[in-house]
Amino acid sequence: MHYYLLKRFITALPTLWLLISLVFLLSRMLPGSFSSARILDDNAGFYSKANAESREKAYRDYLHKTSQDLPLFYFSINAAPEPDSLNLKYSESDRQQLKRLAWHYGSQNIVSEYFNNLQQVENQLSSNKKQRLQNELMVLHTSISSHDLVSSAQKVAEASSTTAASALEKKTIQLVKQQNPYSFMLPALHWHGLKNQYHQWLSQLLQGNFGYSYRNNRAVTEVLAEAIGNTWWLISISICLAFIIALELSLLMIQHPHSRWKKFTLSILFTLDSIPLFVLALLLLVLFASPFFLQLFPVYGMGFYGSEPNNIFYAIANQAPFMVLPIVCLVLSVLPYLTNQIYRALSDAAQANYTKTARAKGLSFRKIVRTHILRNALLPIITLLSDMLPSLAAGAIIVETIFAIPGIGSMAITAVQSRDYPVIVAIVLVIAIFKVLSNLLADFCYALADPRIRYSTS
Amino acid sequence: MNAWLKDIHTIWQTKFGFRAALIYLLSFIVISLLLPFLPLPYQPNVLDLEHIFQPPFNNFTTSTSVSHWLGTDGLGRDVFSNMLYGGRTALFISLPVMVISTIIGITLGLNAGYYGDKMLKISRASVIVLFIALACSLYYGLHIPLQAIEVKLELQIVALCYIMLGLLLMFLFLLLHPLLKKFMVFQKVFALPLDTIIIRLTEVLTSIPRLIFILALASFVPPSITLLSGILVLTYWTGTARLARAEVFRLKEILYVEAGVSLGFKDRRLLWKHVLPNMLSPIVVAFTFGLASLMTLESTLSFLGIGVPTTLVSWGRTISGIRSNTSAWWLVVFPGAFLGVTVLALQVFSYYILSSFKEKKQM
Repeated sequence: MHYYLLKRFITALPTLWLLISLVFLLSRMLPGSFSSARILDDNAGFYSKANAESREKAYRDYLHKTSQDLPLFYFSINAAPEPDSLNLKYSESDRQQLKRLAWHYGSQNIVSEYFNNLQQVENQLSSNKKQRLQNELMVLHTSISSHDLVSSAQKVAEASSTTAASALEKKTIQLVKQQNPYSFMLPALHWHGLKNQYHQWLSQLLQGNFGYSYRNNRAVTEVLAEAIGNTWWLISISICLAFIIALELSLLMIQHPHSRWKKFTLSILFTLDSIPLFVLALLLLVLFASPFFLQLFPVYGMGFYGSEPNNIFYAIANQAPFMVLPIVCLVLSVLPYLTNQIYRALSDAAQANYTKTARAKGLSFRKIVRTHILRNALLPIITLLSDMLPSLAAGAIIVETIFAIPGIGSMAITAVQSRDYPVIVAIVLVIAIFKVLSNLLADFCYALADPRIRYSTS
Repeated sequence: MNAWLKDIHTIWQTKFGFRAALIYLLSFIVISLLLPFLPLPYQPNVLDLEHIFQPPFNNFTTSTSVSHWLGTDGLGRDVFSNMLYGGRTALFISLPVMVISTIIGITLGLNAGYYGDKMLKISRASVIVLFIALACSLYYGLHIPLQAIEVKLELQIVALCYIMLGLLLMFLFLLLHPLLKKFMVFQKVFALPLDTIIIRLTEVLTSIPRLIFILALASFVPPSITLLSGILVLTYWTGTARLARAEVFRLKEILYVEAGVSLGFKDRRLLWKHVLPNMLSPIVVAFTFGLASLMTLESTLSFLGIGVPTTLVSWGRTISGIRSNTSAWWLVVFPGAFLGVTVLALQVFSYYILSSFKEKKQM
């Protein structure tokens, strides 16, 4: 039995690895990180007080600190003229220009030498001359037209007459003359070795370090640990309640198969199934927690952080009213599916021969249902409970967001909105592991409930 | 196909619920298509800042403005027209996504179930050529054009890329493939474990809850309907694929397919003429369920404000107005009811088809 569980766990590992690598690589590959927009944007937030230069520096420091300046994977295949890694020596706009020039003129080496010369010239120029040559320098930094580049370089060389300026002029002419506009048709393979983002991330992950949040630079494990408790309580209380209610409902329906009451319950459940969870949650919110109808429950949050944190009863009494509506929402959202499946399992078991035998020997139907039918119907129900996890996790996201409960779900939404990739990747991983574990638990319970499986696998 | 339509006709004649659901769905589609031509007093994105959070059924028609039947939201947008246009958006997103993912799912599931792990024989030469062709298409067909557009190269360059790709593919299939076939080493045939590959793929895609996967993917790309639809297709084909695969496994055991095999029918004919028509009912059921779940998902995402641009008219966007004013019940009730009724109609529709299919299977 243990061997079997271990085997199941190990076969699930490649899937987990593939999923999490896919999510990680996609999160880093797609362009336009949120923080670049936030730091570099002129009129956004804290950095708007600083000038462009210090914003650039802040951005470069940030990239370096979060090791986003490293190559993404062990190797990369790029167009031949493309620079193979981010060069933090240059500012973001210069890097763009470097790439453009490399693509247009086809030689990465000459382009980077050109940029070195350009920086030298700029350092040597006095501020007075810089003012006068502003237009030309601007052209050298942004244009890709060969004619403009050469004429501006010539003007700069004439005006400043330093060796660096004439070197710049030569380089520009060389760049234009040796133009090879189709060089990108050939791919180039770059090998980066172990110093890449993926390797660093994976080795940190295996040591239990999920990285640091982009948003507030706290350790992701710490943020997760704070949030997971609320979600855990929310989900486990809801699933227990939903299971009990569904079981009792289907037991009642099995005992009274032809009553009007059964038809009524079934149609209510069918209708409930078609109301989306977020609409249901908001309807409950409007009905029971808004000043317009009934204000029975508090609307948002998890209560205030109390002055007596040691007293557990006080804490429960404080938080219970906040949990009522979210739990009711989750229960109602899974109830139709759960009841339907349990009812089906029970009525299958009610058709079986042992039920007929039990009836024939004169047991009351009530007793048969509780002892004979239920025990045999347990098997499909156990698998069902582990299947419930996806819809419960999705439900927790919505419910926590609507009722502002600080849990994994609302954290996921905040992380998605602020593109906090380390947190998103960590949440995906935690939920995937949780799913694997719940499948294993289902297998284990299966064996507990059915001796045949227990003896055949051990 | 004809027998299937006849079944539908019988259900139509006998079941009232089915008739009501079908009529509702058809009129929903017709209204959504004709919506731009209907004379609505307000367009969905028109701001009427003088009447914000207007409760419904409040007649104040004056010479300057017409009343809002179902009230307005926090920016004075008319709830009634937002509700109708929201339905149109939900339909226009979920229908194409579901059609594409059903086609992908059926193709993959059918082949996985039919060929299994052992029946698809492929030579080493073909594998090598296919692999190189795939790599070339990714590089010249996707990577270079995208980069070229980013660094503002001329469009002729992009065209050149595709010409290059065409030439390369011609070279691969007309020259390299026959050439490799001459060597013994590359002639060797082995079985492609198609079933295992596809099942593993669906396992990876379903190893976390769909909503979380979609949220994670949607956070990596800028909000846009096309990209979101791509992500939805990526996650929705797995259900149909599994279903199709299971149905093929079931049908393979049935006598008429066996008879077809022994008569020497070609694989393609067996699949398309004998297997596919017999799994129409479960696929229609999966299609309608998928449609309902996509509509719910679309409005959930736009309610959360993730993955869709804020200019997109949607049920979810109207409903999210409640967050700034919890007493504005009409923002939730009307679009929510519309969404709920549509989902209910889809479920009723698939419920009757499913039960008739089950009856048939038992006979």
